[in-house]
Amino acid sequence: MRISLKNLYFEFFMIGLQLLGGGYVIVPLMKKNLIEKKNWITESELTDFYALSQTIPGVIAINISAFTGYKLRGKSGALTAIIGTITTPIIFILLIATVMEYLLKISFTQSIFWGVSIAVIILIYLSIKEMWQNSLVDIPSWIIFILTFALSFFVKLSPVCIIIISITLGILICLAKARLSK
Amino acid sequence: MITLLHLIIEFFKTGLFSIGGGYATIPFLYQISHQYGWYSIKELSDIIAISMITPGPVGVNMATFAGFKTFGIFGGIVATISLALPAFIFVILISKILKKYSENFWIKSILYALKPTGCGLLLAVGAKMFFDNVKTMPAICLFLFLFLVSFKFKKNPLYYFLFASIIGIILQICNVKLM
Repeated sequence: MRISLKNLYFEFFMIGLQLLGGGYVIVPLMKKNLIEKKNWITESELTDFYALSQTIPGVIAINISAFTGYKLRGKSGALTAIIGTITTPIIFILLIATVMEYLLKISFTQSIFWGVSIAVIILIYLSIKEMWQNSLVDIPSWIIFILTFALSFFVKLSPVCIIIISITLGILICLAKARLSK
Repeated sequence: MITLLHLIIEFFKTGLFSIGGGYATIPFLYQISHQYGWYSIKELSDIIAISMITPGPVGVNMATFAGFKTFGIFGGIVATISLALPAFIFVILISKILKKYSENFWIKSILYALKPTGCGLLLAVGAKMFFDNVKTMPAICLFLFLFLVSFKFKKNPLYYFLFASIIGIILQICNVKLM
């Protein structure tokens, strides 16, 4: 059975529509829509796509859509799935951005965003705590973590420079580890 | 024209270097604000909040917003596509070699380093936002309260925003100076 690009777009459009509150939410949504309803992919494929999505560049929701689209319809499928997923987010933000200027003139909105700006810091902290568990696994990874923080916070080096430095370090550390274990 | 090109390059870069999901794009979005001023740090934090209550990941939302502010609707669409482009290219490149990709020594070493880096970069942004926003007494109290609550209730970010907004409004009604 060949899935038409139109159907593919529609399904990912529906997923994009329900994509509230960060990238991880896409996994249960895909499970419900693509596995249980449509039977387009298997559960173990979804798990693989999710794991892979975290290891390639980009936003997870987009990556996982692209993997699924590619599996179903090749290159054009990947493109269709990505566009489907981002359609609703784009429309929403364009609408909000249009009215934002007027909204911010109301003094109540300013107080709301005052509170929200503090809540955002807490949410960033919670997100770090979550990433923490599977990224800080041994002493070298702690050193990379602290070094990265210091280079960004105190030295104010750009994230791209820092990432290049840390990739170099990571390769050196893993090479050393491989040699030691031999 | 130059700005449009910068917009494409910057969001392509964000898409290319932010690995590991969640808030991994935020350090780049912070840097863009700093370097180009397409949006302020305050707007970044507003959009992070807005992206929680509207569909879509924060990176996508921020790209649309920044694009809109520089080039209107067209800019919003262009910036978002630039952000998604690296993912599209990568998926096509690695889909054929899936097994080899995840077991490759070099890929593993790169990921080993990128995970703690993502944490460190995000912590730096969080710390900067903390020192910028949490200055007054009401801000410090609200922050401490939310911080303590976060140990008990981890789940829905929406409640944090709702609570913080209500506190903001109440304090304004009581004429407390917030900023």
